Amino acid sequence: MQQSTLPLPVFPDMTFDPLPPAPREHLASPITRAALRIQNALLTGARDFLAAEGFVELLAPVIGPVTDPGARGAKQVDVDYYGHRYKLMTSSILYKQAALTAFDKIFCIAPNVRLEPPETASTGRHLAEFHQLDVEIAGGTRADAMSVAERLVVHAVAWVERTLPGELAVLGRDTDAFAGLPGGPFGQVSHTEAVATLIGLGHPQNPDGEIDWPGERILSDKADRPFFITDYPKGSRGFYDREDPLRPGVLNNFDLILPGGYGEISSGSERESNYARIIARIRETGENPAKYGWYLDLVRAGIPTSAGFGIGVERLTRYVAGLDAVWQAVAFPKLPGLVSP
Amino acid sequence: MSALTAPGFPEEAVRRRARDGAGAAFPSRSDYGTTLFGAGAGAGVSAAGVTAETDLIDESRLTPPVFMPLRLEKLIDLGREPLHTDVDLRTRIGGFASALPLYLSAFGSTRVASTDLGLAASRQAGRLGIPMVIGENIVLMNGYRSGGGSSGASGGALGHGLLDRILAYAEAAENVAGDEAVGGVVVQQSTDDADAEVWNLVYSDPRVQPLLRSGRLGFELKVGQGAKPGLGGMTVLGAQAAAGASAQYAIEPVFGADAGQFLRSGSPGTFTAEILSRQIQLMRNNFPRARIWVKLFPGRDIAAAATAAWRAGADSVAVDGSEGGTGWAPTAFLEQVGIPLGECLLDLQSAEARRPGASLLVSGRVWEGSRVVKCLALGANAAGLGRAALIAVDEDPVAGLARLVESIEFEMRLLISALGKYRLTDLDPQDIRLPRALRAAAEAPAEALSAYLAGLSA
Repeated sequence: MQQSTLPLPVFPDMTFDPLPPAPREHLASPITRAALRIQNALLTGARDFLAAEGFVELLAPVIGPVTDPGARGAKQVDVDYYGHRYKLMTSSILYKQAALTAFDKIFCIAPNVRLEPPETASTGRHLAEFHQLDVEIAGGTRADAMSVAERLVVHAVAWVERTLPGELAVLGRDTDAFAGLPGGPFGQVSHTEAVATLIGLGHPQNPDGEIDWPGERILSDKADRPFFITDYPKGSRGFYDREDPLRPGVLNNFDLILPGGYGEISSGSERESNYARIIARIRETGENPAKYGWYLDLVRAGIPTSAGFGIGVERLTRYVAGLDAVWQAVAFPKLPGLVSP
Repeated sequence: MSALTAPGFPEEAVRRRARDGAGAAFPSRSDYGTTLFGAGAGAGVSAAGVTAETDLIDESRLTPPVFMPLRLEKLIDLGREPLHTDVDLRTRIGGFASALPLYLSAFGSTRVASTDLGLAASRQAGRLGIPMVIGENIVLMNGYRSGGGSSGASGGALGHGLLDRILAYAEAAENVAGDEAVGGVVVQQSTDDADAEVWNLVYSDPRVQPLLRSGRLGFELKVGQGAKPGLGGMTVLGAQAAAGASAQYAIEPVFGADAGQFLRSGSPGTFTAEILSRQIQLMRNNFPRARIWVKLFPGRDIAAAATAAWRAGADSVAVDGSEGGTGWAPTAFLEQVGIPLGECLLDLQSAEARRPGASLLVSGRVWEGSRVVKCLALGANAAGLGRAALIAVDEDPVAGLARLVESIEFEMRLLISALGKYRLTDLDPQDIRLPRALRAAAEAPAEALSAYLAGLSA
């Protein structure tokens, strides 16, 4: 029997809205082609911006002995590496910090794999395999990182508008949506304010955790420009987000939220670089620090303070192209819980 | 051996140490795999000859009053004289609906629980509609599922994987009649398990989704256990399994170089109030659809630890008294370390009020109804069956646990109705008469406790 090339849910009653078609049909679609050209232009625009700012592009590792534990609820993928258990990268964070011992400003366009819970398949914003535009700045503050993220997005979107008006037209994207982008710094709300807003709107939100996906959607729908949510509570993020020394329990970090229901496209922070604090923070995630051996050796020897962020490339593409679901911005999409080529 | 004797001195224990070295710090190794340890297991080996056969809970009495206003209430409600069959034992345990104020506490990766007994216990607990905790280290030692790709350090040879136990429970629970989904499966993760991402593995597994959807999956952060407070999990392994486990655990030849057996120790994990609180918050953040449980060993700061856990949002805090435990533990810990359950419950009287809906669970030598009712009177919401459950499934893998629970349920109805009460939430410290020295405990537990302890040592 010929094996089906259609993606198949690993659990029969899972819902996908809409379900990605078989590869030939997907790749032949004018929507896919326009979206992928837009993605290409976004990356070209981003490289243009970052090169002008003095960033060096690195090629990120795909496997390593450990990876970022900070992804909520997602499972890491094990790889047998000559008898050692290695991981596919869930993010480049450890290598980003390490690379700052070579260059002060780096970026990479890094593939990540996260086996997200199957329930995320229908959010329209989750993929099991995706890419991040990862940026790290030695000596940088959170404000520095936010400024780069904001100007990077504005520059890359403008690049698409200038170079691919035809593709935007094919997709029927209303470019008025981008009119507010260049109007100065994006707005900011603290996590506490965002929680209060949601509770005020009748949406129950755990004040100690991430803004949940429906909550993020509500905030995104209400906004007309991109904005930052800052100051997430400790216990909601990875060990590398630096705790504000003056405000215990508050992290010097941020998410960048796009308007129109597109939601979060980027997380970033000032990074922790102090060895003892990193060890204590790793314990707060319940892990034995021993597994981070190579990274901790490096930190003990000294790494620069830094700030940085990662932008979800497919999510940014989805926003610019005005797509319903993030898988439409991928040539070979892999949705959580969907067995696909 | 000479003719030297030392009357009144634990001579034989010393001789055993002289023969066996560090291995003599444990109960006899020949019992491993067939004996359930826990308080009393080291009896006869102890230097002091101490056995912990009775405790504060045993010495307390349940005390029905003559006048029973709540029985009158029930009489009015029913329009007839109430009977013990009118006691409502349904309750909520750590975010789950449960048919009874009982749950199966974790058996761990000890060999006893890794065999078919673990699976038999899962099926019966599911059928009974009571929550079940699955112990730490199972993925690392037994694998995630039998015959699956992730087969653990023992190559799956030690028994059934984690998923097998979860699915055995879920399948049996499906057939329980009733409007509300009762029971739930709680998966422990220790510091060592964190490396294997046990919770992520379970949470993202499509086969577990029916439990998640019905709100019947929980995760338990294991801080420690009653049998060996301050230590991590311990088992005895053969040479091959020990070699496989050496990357994850400390492997020591404490039984001698030629014994062919090794002590495997997990790390206990480092906790402060901040670390505990943040771990709980991270669990809530990462697994929003799972219930969050915390298991504490009976530490001297148990009230502070429980308060921190509830405050951070734990759905339940389980306290394992020093008499608890199914697994392998050093004799000194079985006999000399940690606080007995009854005293923990008194210490917890001073713990800050729990969030509404958050539970206090207790375990430690629970096998009959009066101990359960006494614990409930002292503030617990449910009691865990450990050794008793394993013995019951060993007696009869098909229905042994069900019959044990039936007997406890019957006793609970008798006892609670005798107290003139018909709802679990009406039980309170007035229902229990502590040993004479502790009668003032409700007013001044700390002082009363020191007086009691002073009396013991006098």
